Amino acid sequence: MVDVTAQTTREMKQTVQLLIWTLAWVASLAIAMFGTQLWGRTPVVGWIAVAINLAAGAGWIIAHVRFLRAVGELQRKVQLDAMGLGLGVGIVGSCALAAANVLGLIALEADAAVFAVIAAVVYALATLAGNLRYR
Amino acid sequence: MRNQLSALRAERQWTQADLALRVEVSRQTINAIEKGKYDPSLPLAFRLAKVFERRIEEIFAEDA
Repeated sequence: MVDVTAQTTREMKQTVQLLIWTLAWVASLAIAMFGTQLWGRTPVVGWIAVAINLAAGAGWIIAHVRFLRAVGELQRKVQLDAMGLGLGVGIVGSCALAAANVLGLIALEADAAVFAVIAAVVYALATLAGNLRYR
Repeated sequence: MRNQLSALRAERQWTQADLALRVEVSRQTINAIEKGKYDPSLPLAFRLAKVFERRIEEIFAEDA
């Protein structure tokens, strides 16, 4: 009989790694967009901030792939469904908002951040719903 | 798909957690398969067949 605690430990480790890299990426993005005001928005400072954000983003992507490989097949299905829904709603939603903005129906400018927020929120809710469904 | 997991498990007096441990998946996965909410992958189906000493076709069947 296989000791499932090794599998559980591996999943927990990758989940923690994903959380750390997610926070690192979000923090680096916040610093790049707002924190650079503290020490002057020169091109050098700006490019350093963007480079750090990209590096953190790469770490986040790698952590996400490792997380998906570590979890069991049911959780992998939950994640796949959640990512599909998040991506779809994010694209459709942000494009609809952009169209509404262009038509003068709303004042909100649908830039990349809007897509990211919509996709992230939908992904989180879909992950929660998926885990509740298979509880 | 329909399956006989619950009955086979009961024959051996195994809990869902016991079976999950033997086939290296979470208890939630076993629960989802038994309730028909999730169809197992082929490797998992083979592991289930091996642990119950049955052929896959004797455990799983297409919905009528």
